[in-house]
Amino acid sequence: MKNFSRFARGTFVVLIVLAIWEVLGRLELVGQGALPAPTQILAQLWKDRSDYPPHLSVTLKSAGTGFVIGNIIAIIAGAISARFRFAETLLRGLGMSLFAVPLIAIVPVLLLAFTGTIPRIILAAMAVYFPTYIATMNGMRNVDPRLVDVVMVAGGSSTDVLRWIRVRSALPHIVSAFRVAAPAALLGTLLAEFGGGTRWGLGTYLLGSLGQANPSRLWSIGLVATAMAASAYMLFAILGARLSRSSMSATVETSLPMGGASGPWWKRVGGGIISAGVVLGLWALVLSILDMSPVVAKSPLAIMRYLITDPRASESRSRLFDAYSETLPLALIGLLCGLAAALLLAVILSLRPTLGRAFLPFALVSQTMPLPALTPLIVLVFGRSILATVVVCVSVTFFPSFVTISQALATTSSAAIDVVRVSGGGRFKSLRFVGLPGAVPAMVTAARLAAPRALLGVMIAEYLATGNGLGNLLNESRGRLDYGMIWTVATTSVLVAVLITQLFGLAEKLTRK
Amino acid sequence: MQEVAGGALRVQNVERTFALKDHVVRALDKVSLEVPVGSFISLIGPSGCGKSTLLRLLAGLESPDAGSLLIGERSPEEMRMAGRLGVAFQDPALLPWRSVWKNITLPLQVMGKSVKEYQSAIEELISLVGLKGFEQALPSQLSGGMRQRVAIARALVTEPEVLLLDEPFGALDEILRRTMNLELQRIWSARRPTTILVTHSIEEAIFLADKVAVMSARPGRIAEIVDVPFERPRDPEIMRSSEFHKLADHLSELLFAGGGH
Repeated sequence: MKNFSRFARGTFVVLIVLAIWEVLGRLELVGQGALPAPTQILAQLWKDRSDYPPHLSVTLKSAGTGFVIGNIIAIIAGAISARFRFAETLLRGLGMSLFAVPLIAIVPVLLLAFTGTIPRIILAAMAVYFPTYIATMNGMRNVDPRLVDVVMVAGGSSTDVLRWIRVRSALPHIVSAFRVAAPAALLGTLLAEFGGGTRWGLGTYLLGSLGQANPSRLWSIGLVATAMAASAYMLFAILGARLSRSSMSATVETSLPMGGASGPWWKRVGGGIISAGVVLGLWALVLSILDMSPVVAKSPLAIMRYLITDPRASESRSRLFDAYSETLPLALIGLLCGLAAALLLAVILSLRPTLGRAFLPFALVSQTMPLPALTPLIVLVFGRSILATVVVCVSVTFFPSFVTISQALATTSSAAIDVVRVSGGGRFKSLRFVGLPGAVPAMVTAARLAAPRALLGVMIAEYLATGNGLGNLLNESRGRLDYGMIWTVATTSVLVAVLITQLFGLAEKLTRK
Repeated sequence: MQEVAGGALRVQNVERTFALKDHVVRALDKVSLEVPVGSFISLIGPSGCGKSTLLRLLAGLESPDAGSLLIGERSPEEMRMAGRLGVAFQDPALLPWRSVWKNITLPLQVMGKSVKEYQSAIEELISLVGLKGFEQALPSQLSGGMRQRVAIARALVTEPEVLLLDEPFGALDEILRRTMNLELQRIWSARRPTTILVTHSIEEAIFLADKVAVMSARPGRIAEIVDVPFERPRDPEIMRSSEFHKLADHLSELLFAGGGH
């Protein structure tokens, strides 16, 4: 009965919002028709129904292929890392790069090297790798030691432990990573589709519809993309629920030792150098396998030359610097706004659970809607402005931060809260003295996890709409065939993103002490 | 019932230390112990006296720093690799994704044996531990006592020569514990593996064992080994006899003397 009334209230709120939206849309009150009414969006979707199948099938095929390939690599790498610490050190740089890199920065490079749908498949695979890798490694490593004892006492070897215990123990973790990886694969594919390649694909369709002054079409494409991401998520959520008979946490494991391995500083620095060397080595290896012309394909050395010794190096450097000084502050502002909004909702939810719950469905939708499809809609509503960029940024950082923070608020020790209550404090006092101080480390964790998304959000907005910063520099460089700059943006954005997450990782360590 | 093979269990001058951050803990200090084939010995002692460590050494899961452990002519490690040991811990340590039946067959699968050949033996074992009808149940569907029975059945499925029990009933309530003690006596009498039971309960130690070894802590040593004179099969009634009480009093004196300093 209680569940039913909660459900009824939720439905009621959704209906009210839809009704308001309908009125706003019909009267064209937002951005001169930038926000069409829900019924208009559905009507457009129906009108365009014959357009979708070819685009959808190409997108799904690329995303699906990338999903499978990325996961196979991630599971193998995760299993090896679980077994050998040294392999983990070797692969850490790769994992961190793939976690932090704004994927859009890689798109032009992939388009230089590959044709057709291959860039889309690769980008989907890259987007998938990190969550599955971490889940596999942690799932296989952190098994119940007593189960290991049981197998050992029966005369088992470590291979037997792997076979009978580790693989099956890791399985629910891996499937729950798939929930996150599947929408990520879609995101990767859509981003790569923005770069071109073939006529087909939902991203291509979206890009083609940008200039048509038909907001309803953009919204209906966004709706379809969201439905795809949500159903992929649901599929693995259901599978995971069947698999793990115990409940699992709703978020991906993020316990990657970001600050590097424990141990003396020289060991950590050494590990860092080695793992960076692995990334550079892979880069050189791929270039030599592809056998590309050095004019198009740039090695790490060529990029150094481009930025330092080339006659036009200083001009390139200043263009790069200008782009970063436009992009990074916006990403930071967006990140902070997203965190603040997440904290606010988490606090509201902990004080007034019913009030907060009404917002959740919308927070969830904004979370499932793939970023490349969401960005044009936000730009439509808010115009090609800085505000739009920040809103994009907030919308991608908000939800994961909200989950992290409200988990921390929920797990603050109830005994400590009782102490405040016994001393005569109410909900506000216990929040102030126990909840909020306890949530500070969670805020920093949320910042670390959301920072790469913030950067990606800003760059997509710049790439598609505002014509500023790094996103625009990528666009420009493609137009000018400035291969050096294309590679430089890709490389430096990986470095900058890794550096930023490392800084947040450091802050996290300090606050957790 | 088949003949008990193997040999007596001999622990000689075994030492084991653990290095912690700032100091070294001597978990076992020159521990010697002898358990004849087919007999049942209980190990009691205060927390930290190294009784679980001794059991892990006997299970071949760890190695001693000095001294020797032999089961007949073989080391625990060899016994472990040959699948001649059975263990049950305080936590049943069942694989949550496997049914009762499949949890019991796990040691056979690890040893690479055909489960089919053991079909009737497993069925017999399941009825011995009173789990008939629950073969396909998952651990999460069982009560604490039933899970522990599964763990004991799993320890017995390979027909081990040595059975090592580390507080198998430690997490159960007193009533259930008594019932399980009776059942363990029945199960053990049917097979008679050489058995070492680590326990906190003096009553459980006396009721089940031929001998009770009392350990003292810091460093872990065997303080005294006490014979238990009662005939088998034992009725729970003996727990009310004055002889039983005298023995229990004696053991608790030893325990407090050993753990008090």
